[in-house]
Amino acid sequence: MTKLDIFLWIILPYISITIFILGHIYRYNTDQFGWTAKSSEFLEKKRLRFGSTVFHWGIIFVFFGHVAGLLIPKLWFDVLGITDDMYHFGAIWFGGLAGLAVVIGGFFLFLRRVAVKRIVKNSSVSDYVALIMLGIVVLVGFTNTAGYTATGGDFDYRVTIGPWLREILTLQPSQGMVLAMAQAPIGFQLHVSLAFVLFAIWPFTRLVHVFSLPLKYLTRNYVVYRNQKPYHKAKVAQKKEIN
Amino acid sequence: MKQSTTPLWKRLSYFGKSEKLNDQYERSPQDRNSEKVYRRRWQHDKVVRTTHGVNCTGSCSWKVHVKDGIIAWETQQTDYPSTGPDMPEYEPRGCPRGASFSWYTYSPHRIRYPYIRSALLKIWSEALAEQKDPVKAWKNIVETPEKAKRYKAARGKGGFVRTTWEEINTLISSSIIHTIQKEGPDRIFGFSPIPAMSMVSYSSGARFLNLIGGSLLSFYDWYADLPPASPQVWGEQTDVPESSDWYNSSYLLVWGSNLPQTRTPDSHFMVESRYKGTKVVAVAPDYAEYVKFADNWLPVQAGMDAALGMAMTHVILKEYYADKETPYFNDYVKKYTDLPFLITLDQEGEHLRSGKFLRAEKIGMDISNAEWKTVVFDEKSDGFAAPDGTIGHRWEDNKTWNLHMRDTDNQLGDIEPALSLKNHSDEVAEVSFPEFMASNREVYKRKVPVKKVTIDGKEQLVTTVFDLLMANCGVSRGLAGEEEITYEDENAPFTPAWQEKLSGVPAGDVAQIAREFAQNAIDSNGRSMIIMGSGINHWYHSDMIYRTILNLVLLTGCEGVNGGGWAHYVGQEKVRPLEGFQTVAMARDWGIPARLHAGTSFFYFATEQWRYDDQKVDNLISPLTDKATYQHFGDYSSLAARLGWSPSYPQFDKNSTKIAGDKSNEEVVQSVVDQIKSGEMNFAVDDPGDPNNFPKLLFVWRANLIGSSAKGHEYFLKHLLGTHDGTLSEQEAEKNTNEIKWIEEVPEGKLDLLINYDFRMSGTGLYSDIVLPAATWYEKHDLSSTDMHPFVHPFNPAISTPWESRSDWNAFKSLAKKFSEMAETYFPEPVKDVITSPLLHDSKDEIQQAYGTIPDWKYGKFEPVPGVNFPKIQVVERDFPKVYEKFISLGDKVKDQIGAKGISWKADEEYNLLKKLVGTNKRTSHIKGTPSLDTDRQAAETILTLSSTTNGSLAMKAWKALENKTGQSNLTDLVVERSEERLSFNDITTQPRKVLSSPVFSGSETGNRRYSNFTTNIEHMIPFRTLTGRQSFYLDHDIMLEFGEELPTFKPPLQKLTFQSGDRKPEAVENEITLRYLTPHFKWSYHSTYGDTLPMLTLFRGGPHVWLNNHDAESVHIKDNDWIEMYNRNGVVVARAVVSHRIPSGIVYMYHVQDRLINVPGSKITKTRGGTFNSPTRIHIKPTHMIGGYAQLSYGFNYYGPTGNQRDEQVIIRKMEREEVDWLED
Repeated sequence: MTKLDIFLWIILPYISITIFILGHIYRYNTDQFGWTAKSSEFLEKKRLRFGSTVFHWGIIFVFFGHVAGLLIPKLWFDVLGITDDMYHFGAIWFGGLAGLAVVIGGFFLFLRRVAVKRIVKNSSVSDYVALIMLGIVVLVGFTNTAGYTATGGDFDYRVTIGPWLREILTLQPSQGMVLAMAQAPIGFQLHVSLAFVLFAIWPFTRLVHVFSLPLKYLTRNYVVYRNQKPYHKAKVAQKKEIN
Repeated sequence: MKQSTTPLWKRLSYFGKSEKLNDQYERSPQDRNSEKVYRRRWQHDKVVRTTHGVNCTGSCSWKVHVKDGIIAWETQQTDYPSTGPDMPEYEPRGCPRGASFSWYTYSPHRIRYPYIRSALLKIWSEALAEQKDPVKAWKNIVETPEKAKRYKAARGKGGFVRTTWEEINTLISSSIIHTIQKEGPDRIFGFSPIPAMSMVSYSSGARFLNLIGGSLLSFYDWYADLPPASPQVWGEQTDVPESSDWYNSSYLLVWGSNLPQTRTPDSHFMVESRYKGTKVVAVAPDYAEYVKFADNWLPVQAGMDAALGMAMTHVILKEYYADKETPYFNDYVKKYTDLPFLITLDQEGEHLRSGKFLRAEKIGMDISNAEWKTVVFDEKSDGFAAPDGTIGHRWEDNKTWNLHMRDTDNQLGDIEPALSLKNHSDEVAEVSFPEFMASNREVYKRKVPVKKVTIDGKEQLVTTVFDLLMANCGVSRGLAGEEEITYEDENAPFTPAWQEKLSGVPAGDVAQIAREFAQNAIDSNGRSMIIMGSGINHWYHSDMIYRTILNLVLLTGCEGVNGGGWAHYVGQEKVRPLEGFQTVAMARDWGIPARLHAGTSFFYFATEQWRYDDQKVDNLISPLTDKATYQHFGDYSSLAARLGWSPSYPQFDKNSTKIAGDKSNEEVVQSVVDQIKSGEMNFAVDDPGDPNNFPKLLFVWRANLIGSSAKGHEYFLKHLLGTHDGTLSEQEAEKNTNEIKWIEEVPEGKLDLLINYDFRMSGTGLYSDIVLPAATWYEKHDLSSTDMHPFVHPFNPAISTPWESRSDWNAFKSLAKKFSEMAETYFPEPVKDVITSPLLHDSKDEIQQAYGTIPDWKYGKFEPVPGVNFPKIQVVERDFPKVYEKFISLGDKVKDQIGAKGISWKADEEYNLLKKLVGTNKRTSHIKGTPSLDTDRQAAETILTLSSTTNGSLAMKAWKALENKTGQSNLTDLVVERSEERLSFNDITTQPRKVLSSPVFSGSETGNRRYSNFTTNIEHMIPFRTLTGRQSFYLDHDIMLEFGEELPTFKPPLQKLTFQSGDRKPEAVENEITLRYLTPHFKWSYHSTYGDTLPMLTLFRGGPHVWLNNHDAESVHIKDNDWIEMYNRNGVVVARAVVSHRIPSGIVYMYHVQDRLINVPGSKITKTRGGTFNSPTRIHIKPTHMIGGYAQLSYGFNYYGPTGNQRDEQVIIRKMEREEVDWLED
């Protein structure tokens, strides 16, 4: 276990997670008006409609794929009777397809950002950093799926990366898992470590919009009132009045 | 207030708990803090009333909103006093340009610190270290050609470095002291325009320069905004109705004035007048913005307006004077114009031509001032009479200067002047008139009824101005032997058919509009109005264009009537609190005469444009004149200087402080005359190439001289500044002047120091040696007024001056202080300064050269007499160490005399009042107990307190003075209702206040009346300040006759070539087009102001552009937005083409003022950056504008003088391919 291994598989993840959590809190509290997806639809619609749709549907499936592959222990699949072959079929075909969508969609968004003059003029450094970092992570990840797993690579991340990540998240990193990470194929190592770098810059980019998915619109009423004073206080006042 | 919890905490604490109210409504647990940002957007800490010192001079009152110590935005004020029932209101005023001003405050253009060009600073620091004495250091710099050249050639090439006010003031003071010691204070010049737009700021530099003996340059004539026809016709600089009076008109002719575009806040009055039935007729070459409001459009060929004016005059004379008599018109012109006055006719060779006004002296009337009293034929006594009110009466002070039809001198009592001699004639004579066509000048002959008189034993023919005007215009009226001229006669000047050939306007339309104009005047008693503007005013012969148009309002009795008359709005010039302003600005309170110079004459020589003059005098003189006085226009300037007609500074080739010595004043005057006669001393104007006669220092404040008004921009760069330039012209190969000394080697870099005070980096700043940070219009106390409305507006600081900027007042005050401190060493004793000044209008000077001849003493025919045919000479003592204390103290000379326009009164009570109002200086050591002018606020209060338009007690005194002068007894009635009012600075800050009626202006505001010029003249029989005391059709000065301008007539634009032989003409390319070059005012800027702000730049193409016709463009393959190069011998412009069918074929518009600062690529021709809109222009001076010492044609600062006209140019345009556009950025 080299120092580099410790850094990559223990220190970096914790630094990154810390920045990720505290960064979001900080950003949310200090930059309410900057907490946005920074839509550029106003400036360019056509390319955005294709690129963004494909990319976002892809990334949603990729996200759930990662949840399935990493956070859910292999045991659970076994219990449910999902065999390795079935899992791999799903991971390669559905994961690959979703990955392909992300790559294609992302590629179009990238082209749009560097080719459309008015978008270029309105892009900040953080937009480029977020897009490029995300692009690299996605490309490396897609290459792993398409170029390694799909072509019969025998590395099973469900018994290496998955447990390691769960240990990290439950604050119980172990030497064994770190060693397992260190022996993982270089593509997977790259994907994971770069992902943690991405998480570290995440709170400071437009990517924060992930947490502001306007799901509420699905359930809210047509007219929403807000009180000048927050309403629990109003309730307290009401109660006082009754008493 | 409790600190609110963080957004995240709040978000989490209410997570999802929403209270359902009914099926569709719910109450969210979240607060409404997010709304605060919208609420805060328009919250502010204070609102300050101020205005804009911009040279549209719209003088709009603004609310400036300040938030967190930052100027956040401005909005229009809406509290103007009402114009009364049945009238549209003034509020709100302000246009989108004005609303963008606050952008400047914190913009990249803002000058934040004092700057000096590093090339100069380096030389200065070295010289200072070497010489140890700042004055010696400056002397060393300017006297070492290598050093001087080094920093002068760096002008316009960047390299500014920050410095301190202290260091700059020391440097400037050193240069002033050195210049006074070596060449004299009259080599120090100041340029600042239009005091009305910010009087205190104007006064700051002016007061300082006047106290040290520097020369101020005029701007109104230099800008070609002055309509010389106004002094010629009325003896009045310019006086026009306020804009609300347009609404009183029932027929509006709008002529070359783009109201919605250039008079944005006022144009609504024109539109509203249409709703009550006023007809609006537009005269414009292009489909301008105002044309769309018009019922009729007369699309005149650019520059041919005078042909149209003359044809309309012809129609009015024919239909309302010849075919039938119109009582209203007849009555008006007899009382108020010079039409009934008699003119002598002189036989010159084969031609009988009109000459001088017949004077009482010539026909043997034994009365005083008889050579200045003009004569009419009195029908009542069937003889000659000299009516009261002429200039001869004006300076007798015996209460006969009024317009009553009386002849007091000859005890004739009431008289009835004959308008025409038709019924009194001895015979009908044939008089010759000059005709000026584009290609040739001819003479035509017309019949005129005449009387015979005996003058000096010889029989002489006389006729009236009216008869000459009728004949000149070709109006047939059944005289013996007269040929019948009809409207359809296209060869006879000035019929409607004749003008159609020139102007392209259908003859029928001309007759119809003229007829309607006159008929409306009859029906409404004179409510026909002509709004006119710079479209027709910037031509070389603008005065002739104007006089033909003024015919229309004079012949129809519209002038001096509310809703009627001329309404000229070009660079408005109305300083309402006039006397107070003149006192403070010209330092009249200290009683020293100021050196006030005519700007155009100055720049013509200072920039050496006289050497490149492509016009020949002989081409412009009357065909009835054998020989011009001179062959070169510059020589007329020399003549005007030595006869005391025009001012001329520098005065002599000798230092004015080294003439007097110990001699008494009388001896000094005599010695000056003797030295000039002997040739020991010469007028400086005669040798502009002598370094001793160069202007040395030039202060420019509140102005963009180089980037905006430098007609002949490239000559400025080359000769005045001595830096890189883009002229392609070569000077005349040999001398063609008689008086002006010609040398082969043309001087370059004449100016030692160009100092610019401004809040933004303009073209002037970029070429200056020193740029000083001035306060913006939101950072100082000042006053503004306009002729567009009758209010005086204050400037108030919304924030204190940011960074190191200073108000103009404080800037010049600090310079005065430094200068005075240094002067203790260099001028411990008072210095005697010899001041020359021209014969002034509105003083007895104007009756010194009788009969309007040329009493030239230079060649021995006359003796030079100062104040008669030689400039006035005064000797004054200058105590330079006291300049600072005088600057901040109001001198007591004002107690005994204050006034304007030829009348004066006392201001003693007001002076004492001021001591209490503004306080006295506590820390001065020499001058004590006088009202303090320490701050700009005190200066503003002083101006208001000392002016009759803003102080009722002075208005009463002023009207009283005019009562004494005219013998009219009821004039104080005009202001008695407001005699106890005094508009203080606080008053006008609280709410706009209307000014008081005062004889300083010619209209009345009494009873909330709308101001219209000359209404008091007409209603109260107050004479016009002219030769006859009436409105003038006829001008009889020798120079007028020489150029055939005795009567209004048509003169075409100058015949100009784009290049002269010998010029460095670029090789022709395949697709080139030559077009007439016009520079009307732009929609998204006022001159260069606002043109450089981001909000305005985004509104139109964001850089230099020119407009041309689609067919013209197509013929040389130019498409919209292509880059083009536009050039002539004067310089080159690179801009983008705007192709539009709105522009007629044959002309190109480059909107006024496109400076060289933003998005200007390089020129292929000059290899430097493309020019300003003034690069293809230059000035041509007109000799008739230099006449002086003769009634209304006497000099007044910004009143008379050659105009800096620039309309008559032609340019060549060629397309630039995309790849040829070089931004010169490496």
